[in-house]
Amino acid sequence: MIPQQHQKLQVMSHAVVGFPSLDENEKAIAGLVEAGVNLIELQVPFSDPVADGHTLVNACYDALKMGGSVKATLELAAKVTKAHPQASFILMSYLNPLYRYGLEKLFEDAAAAGIKAMIIPDMPVEQIEPWLPKLDALGIAPILMVTPNISDERVAKIAANARGFIYVVSRMGVTGKQTQWGEEFENYVARIRTHTDLPLAIGFGVRAAEDLKALTGTAEIAAFCSKYIEWQRDQGSDKAAEKMHQLLQDSGLAG
Amino acid sequence: MIRSDQGYFGEFGGRYVPEILLPALQELETMFNQLRDDPSFWQEYLSLCQEFSGRPTPLTPLRRLSKELGGAQIWLKREDLNHSGAHKVNNVLGQGLLVQRMGKKRVIAETGAGQHGLATAIMAARLGLQATIYMGADDIERQYSNVFWMRQLGAEVVGVETGARTLKEALDEALRDWAATVETTHYVLGTACGPAPFPELVTYFQSVISQEMKQQALEKIGRLPDEVVACVGGGSNAMGAFANFLEDDAVKLIGVEAGGRSFLPGEHSVRLLPDTGEDGIAQGYKTLFLQDDDGQLGDTHSIAAGLDYVGVSPILSHLSQTGRVIADSANDQEVVDAFKLLMKTEGIIPALESSHALAGGFKRAKQMSPDQHMVINLSGRGDKDIFNIAHAFPQPEWTEFLQREAARAQELENASKGEKS
Repeated sequence: MIPQQHQKLQVMSHAVVGFPSLDENEKAIAGLVEAGVNLIELQVPFSDPVADGHTLVNACYDALKMGGSVKATLELAAKVTKAHPQASFILMSYLNPLYRYGLEKLFEDAAAAGIKAMIIPDMPVEQIEPWLPKLDALGIAPILMVTPNISDERVAKIAANARGFIYVVSRMGVTGKQTQWGEEFENYVARIRTHTDLPLAIGFGVRAAEDLKALTGTAEIAAFCSKYIEWQRDQGSDKAAEKMHQLLQDSGLAG
Repeated sequence: MIRSDQGYFGEFGGRYVPEILLPALQELETMFNQLRDDPSFWQEYLSLCQEFSGRPTPLTPLRRLSKELGGAQIWLKREDLNHSGAHKVNNVLGQGLLVQRMGKKRVIAETGAGQHGLATAIMAARLGLQATIYMGADDIERQYSNVFWMRQLGAEVVGVETGARTLKEALDEALRDWAATVETTHYVLGTACGPAPFPELVTYFQSVISQEMKQQALEKIGRLPDEVVACVGGGSNAMGAFANFLEDDAVKLIGVEAGGRSFLPGEHSVRLLPDTGEDGIAQGYKTLFLQDDDGQLGDTHSIAAGLDYVGVSPILSHLSQTGRVIADSANDQEVVDAFKLLMKTEGIIPALESSHALAGGFKRAKQMSPDQHMVINLSGRGDKDIFNIAHAFPQPEWTEFLQREAARAQELENASKGEKS
């Protein structure tokens, strides 16, 4: 379940639907849940994922060839939400595939498939706002992002429209590279906290047990995604799940 | 002139970008809005174009060709005579002045045919800025002469290996760079696409084309032309050629897209005609994209590297939908025929991109009468296309020349190694 403010750090991880294959997605997700991950993003692969680094770009490229799509994502969601009721599944997608599907139908079908939240990086808060009553009625939390260069005025606007948690982009740039934690980062998180009581998820650059330790006590959620996809790509889903289990042990987050 | 309604042109346009890019776009918009209403800025821009790029470019009558086709009197607006050989430099010089005002020191750009990258590298050298140019790996192969020049000018050229390795991927990569460096870097977008305010901003700078065209037509023809024709890749030269005629309803505006090999998916780059582009939201804006039912952007083809973009200016999507701009297309063979015809009858070597406008224009001109006038925007010159043309019409003479040239280069390299050791 999505944690409350000041609860213990939870790891959020990732599946690119169709990568390495649709069958393996199910197996990989079971492995993640068994390892102790209860927040999982299901990414709809897209031809032009502009906010992602090369790991996710290439995974999307491969996933499309393996049949990844909005429809495949909803089908996968229906299966995994039923199989793992203890976990929360978050649909992550760039806007165009959802727009082509039809946003209203997409939100309804996603809710019916058990999706609890949605991350759409290129759908700014202004575009989400008109959909809030619908999303609230369906019980889907729109997850909005804040970035280090954001103005206070805009954080306030995002905080007013966000549900579930706020995704704090840890540094300038795309997914999948190292971030330096420290005073500047702590001040940034503290600034966001003054605007919201929602839990905070830290993403972009969380790649090792040291990062998870550094974030313990600072945030409620750590998005451990690109590195996990690298494990999955290089060593297969079973091994990736084992490594995830070990990571949680090493970070003091298991159990 | 073109003014958006909060970034939208009808239903198209907008700003659909990851949160991280918003502050830079807002900063750019604020700066642009200040400068657009400042007549001294336009004068500064015009002076730079005149002193550095050779503006105004002439309006050239095609007397022999018009007679041969037996229809309208055809004129060319000679954007090929700009420094760097294409209209691209107009926009780039304008954005260079903006960069100076914003106090940034680095520019990035994406490029397809290489003309925009070359123009950006030229501008950066002239204004003392650091430049990084993203280019699809396949486009690098197709347009190596431009890559060579960009590097000589001091720009870093980065080959993009993801996806189909063309302009679409280069654009994604440039956006990723910008997300990481936005505080010090300006993204010199090359065409009238992308998130607001770029479509409007690029059109503003390119509108110098139709500003001159209008004045020159009044002087040389004594009235406005009956038709203005331009090729449409992203749409910047077309918007430049059309901008000052939008309210002159008697002037027909024709945009010619790349019909490629056929109308099958992946074989062309036609987005404005029925059953081709579908509305979508990607790469930061809403427009007509070539895409599948799942919203995945499609592959494209054109004989001209600069026309095979998967989206199109949201302004053109709107103008085409409202009927103000007439959409047309020319296939690869028609383009090559028009290219040859212009060279042989008028002694002008056009870019393959611009040859789409020629092909579309010549077809229409034949149906018009000799007292009518058509202006075709010749967006760029063709010498950069020498390798493509040589591939399209293989000649033993050319192959032999390349072999001799490669041998000479190898000899020089060996000699230089010998001297060093």
